Amino acid sequence: MVSHETVLEALRTVNDPEMPINIVDLGIVDAVRVEPGTDGSGSRVVVEILPTFVGCPALPRIEDDVRKRLGAIFGITEVDVHFRFDPPWTVDRISTAGRESLRKFGVTVPQRRDSSEPETETLQCPFCGSSQVQLESSFGPTRCRMIYHCESCRNPFEHLKRIPVPVLFG
Amino acid sequence: MHELNDEARRALIQLLLAVADDKLMLGHRNADWTGLAPILEEDIAFSSMAQDELAHASALYQCVADLTNSQADRLAFGRKPEEYRCAQIVELSDDFNWATALCRSFFCDNFEALRLERLARSSYTPIAQLAGRLLAEEQVHVQHVDSWMHRLGRGDDDANQRMQEALNGLAPLAPMLFEPTEGQEVLEKEGIYPQSEPAMFERWSQDLLKVAHDAGLILDLPRPSAKIIGGRRGVHGAAFATALEEMTEVYRVEPEAAW
Repeated sequence: MVSHETVLEALRTVNDPEMPINIVDLGIVDAVRVEPGTDGSGSRVVVEILPTFVGCPALPRIEDDVRKRLGAIFGITEVDVHFRFDPPWTVDRISTAGRESLRKFGVTVPQRRDSSEPETETLQCPFCGSSQVQLESSFGPTRCRMIYHCESCRNPFEHLKRIPVPVLFG
Repeated sequence: MHELNDEARRALIQLLLAVADDKLMLGHRNADWTGLAPILEEDIAFSSMAQDELAHASALYQCVADLTNSQADRLAFGRKPEEYRCAQIVELSDDFNWATALCRSFFCDNFEALRLERLARSSYTPIAQLAGRLLAEEQVHVQHVDSWMHRLGRGDDDANQRMQEALNGLAPLAPMLFEPTEGQEVLEKEGIYPQSEPAMFERWSQDLLKVAHDAGLILDLPRPSAKIIGGRRGVHGAAFATALEEMTEVYRVEPEAAW
C-alpha cells in the first residue's frame, strides 16, 4: 500500500488557488486515510478537508487538484475527498511555514491563542513592521481576509479573519 | 445520534427549507448591491454576505436532499412558488433603497443568528454541526449590520430619517419571520429544534430594541399573529413570483447547467 507520508507529501504540492500556501500548511487537511482499494489491487485514499468558509468558491478547484495529484501516484486507484465542518477550521491551524509564506505575500495571520483568552494582539504591517495600522474593511477579496491600511508605509495589506466560535445558550 | 421518526423527518424538512429559502432570497436580494452599494467597502461587504447566504442555503438544501433523496439544485430552483417556505420580508425588493436593504438585514440576520443558535444545539447531530459553523459566520453579519444601524441612525438628520422610514416600513412585516413551520412543535419537543428562555421572539425584540435605541431610532415591533398565514406555509407576496422567475431563469432553460 501507498504510505501515509507519500500522500501527505503530494498534498503539500496542492496550493490554495487564491493564496501562496499549500493546503497542508493552511491546516484544512484534517485527516488522510489509506485503505486497500475495492478492486483488491491498489490503494484507496480518503482525504477529509475542513473548508475555511462555507462559501469558499475554491473548494471544487481544491478537490479537483487533490484528485489529480493523488491519482497520478502509482498504486493509488481511488481518491475520495470529503468536506466537513466539524471540527471548524480556525486560523490557529495554519503552520509556522504557512504563516511565513503568507506574510511574504502581504497577508498577516492572527497569533495562535487559547480561544478562552481575549484578543490582545497588536497587528504589524507585513511590509514595514509598523503597528500604526487601521482596519479599512472587515470584508476583503476572499471570504477569509479583511483589509488593513498601514499609516507608516501607506500600503494596504490583508489580515486573515478569526471567526470566533459562538457561545451557545444553556 | 438522534434517530428521526417519520413525523420528525417531515417537520425537519419544512424547517430546513424555511432556513434555506430565507437565505437564498436574502442572498439574491443582497447580491443586487454588487457594484452599486454607496461605498466600495459596502459593495464588498454586501457581496461577501450574499456569497455566505447563498453558500449556507446550498449546504442546507444538501441536507434536505439527503433526507428526501432529492437534489440540492432542484430544491433551490425547481419548486413551485407555494412550495417555498421563506418569510415575506426576504422576498420584497428594496428598490435600491440602501436604508431598506440595511434594515431588512438587521431584522433577518438577527433572527437567523438566533435560529441557528438553537439548531446548533439540535439533538440531530448532522444539523447541529452545520448550524454551529453557519452561526459563526452569521454573527459576523449581525455585528456588521448592527454597526451600520448605529452609524446611520447617529448620522445627520437625513440619514436618521431615511433609516427611521425604512424601519417603520419593515417593522410590521418582520415578526412574520417567527411564523412556525409545519410540525415545528414536534421538533421543539424532541430537542431537534430546542428552545430556551427567554423565548426567541423576546430575545430578538430585546436585541433589536437595544440597537435601535442606541442608534437613536424608534422601533415598534408587533407580536407575531398566530392568525396570519404567510411564507412559512407557502403564502407569498406578489413580488415573490417575479423574483423566483428571475432567479430560476437559467435553471429552467438548462437544469444541468454548471458553472
